[in-house]
Amino acid sequence: MSSWTSPAAIAVESRLFAALAVLRVVVLVNAVALNVYRADSFERPVAGVACVGVMVAWTGFATWAYAEPRRRTALLLAADLALAVGLLLATPLVKGAGFSASLPGFWVIGALLAWAIHYRLVGGLVAGVLLATADLTLRQDVGQSDYGNAFLLLIGGPIVGFMCQSLQEMATERDAAERSAAMAAERARLARVVHDGVLQVLALVQRRGRELGGEAAELGLVAGEQERELRRLIQAQDAVTTVGDDETVDLVAELTRLEHGATVTVSTPGFPVELPAGTAHELVAVTRACLDNVRRHVGEDAAAWVLLQAAPDRVELSVRDDGPGIPAGRLDEAAAQGRLGVSESIRGRIADLGGTAELATGSFGTEWEFVVPRTATT
Amino acid sequence: MSETIRVMVVDDHPMWRDAVERDLAAAGLDVVGVAANGRDALARFPAIRPQVVVLDLQIPAPDGVEVTAEMVRQDPSVRVLILSASGEHADVLAAVKAGATGYLVKSASREELLSAVRRVAQGDPVFTAGLAGLVLGEFQRRSDEPTTDRDDTLTERETEVLKMVAKGMSYRQIADRLVLSHRTVQNHVQNTLRKLQMHNRVELTRYAIERGLDAE
Repeated sequence: MSSWTSPAAIAVESRLFAALAVLRVVVLVNAVALNVYRADSFERPVAGVACVGVMVAWTGFATWAYAEPRRRTALLLAADLALAVGLLLATPLVKGAGFSASLPGFWVIGALLAWAIHYRLVGGLVAGVLLATADLTLRQDVGQSDYGNAFLLLIGGPIVGFMCQSLQEMATERDAAERSAAMAAERARLARVVHDGVLQVLALVQRRGRELGGEAAELGLVAGEQERELRRLIQAQDAVTTVGDDETVDLVAELTRLEHGATVTVSTPGFPVELPAGTAHELVAVTRACLDNVRRHVGEDAAAWVLLQAAPDRVELSVRDDGPGIPAGRLDEAAAQGRLGVSESIRGRIADLGGTAELATGSFGTEWEFVVPRTATT
Repeated sequence: MSETIRVMVVDDHPMWRDAVERDLAAAGLDVVGVAANGRDALARFPAIRPQVVVLDLQIPAPDGVEVTAEMVRQDPSVRVLILSASGEHADVLAAVKAGATGYLVKSASREELLSAVRRVAQGDPVFTAGLAGLVLGEFQRRSDEPTTDRDDTLTERETEVLKMVAKGMSYRQIADRLVLSHRTVQNHVQNTLRKLQMHNRVELTRYAIERGLDAE
């Protein structure tokens, strides 16, 4: 949407016109006060009073007219500027050719800023040129302060116009960003509802299938796989939305990807655990090696559990299986025969991360436990 | 068990609700009420006074977490077993903190469901390994905060037991490995849950006092 017509741009414009309405009153009071103070310099006092009356009336009308976006027509803006220029031109007629202060004085900036707000940089420039020209051409001799005032009109208009344009563009962009964020949130909410419905059905098929047996049981098995896959995806997707720069990786999201069917369960904290990418990937690789080991030594369908715990200074990662455990002395025997094998390679990789690895085995199965400092130098 | 367990089933999917109800009834449990959304569930709850509520987390408002909190507030002896299809971390943890005693994924088998309902009815927490991991994380996060009272952090033994639950070990296996009785392991897990929920109540009370809600 264009930054001219977007609701955000119009809101910015309305705000600026509201501020301008206050400014108009201030410059009006100033203009009236100065004209009253210099009342004796008027050659035609009645005309002077009439001109002041016109300024008061127009200020009231302009405040009302600019308040509503649809009333901000070219006609209104043209009338606004014409009146300001007209009052400047009327000055020599009312005050005589040798006047020093113009009739409207600073009151003309109302029209100047209205043009800058509505027509931006170009509008501010056009109004500034017209007003400065009108002011200077009428004077018999141009003093230092007259030149200064004209110069201010010339640069003030375009600057305010440019700022107004920038504000409108920023507001429009912000609105667009907010809209897309709201849309993304709504899409995520809808996806959640859909996912939940699908998961419900998959879980039900799986459950009933198991009870019915036969072909239905196979169907149930497939549904179960899909259910776990979808749940894993949803959890991984949730993790994606958490912020993290390129240098760090959320270990929770990475490990969750290892969850597999009914065999591998991954337990993690409910918050992201950011680690340097190298450390995180190495930990995932080590975990994968442990899980491969479980499949090789315990069985293809052997259950395994991965647990991640995170403290501010370290992470603890463990991988456990429910197998028969490693017979006592078996590892020493292997080492003595020079077969260092998988377990040594796992220890080495963890040591490279500055961490420790412990292997426990018994009736509870086999369990690796790794403790790795979070400020690891790799 | 001498008396039948009175169960209420809350789920917005009729097929699912019927299946759970049928399974529970077939196993001799007394399904005293059902509801399809949070509002109906809370409306019927005071009259039927179930011992166990089998509750889906994703139900039309008020959601499962709010329903859990309100039911436990009305009747602290009620046991809520959360059944959730998506198992979203934050929701499950919130429900347990609000007072739920157990959590199962919906794909759990009928036997797992029945066993969970029976255990929950006795006040025994039903943890999955995943939930235990979340709870461990929650206590860890809490102990990293400087203001935490020592009363509601876990003892070393409780942490040890909870870690084993998170690694998928059964209470039996934990008891064997730590040379404890089965009952002691159960007590440790129960204490963990109690501390989690107590901390939640303390937080709520503190919040209420800060907001001046206790003046009424």
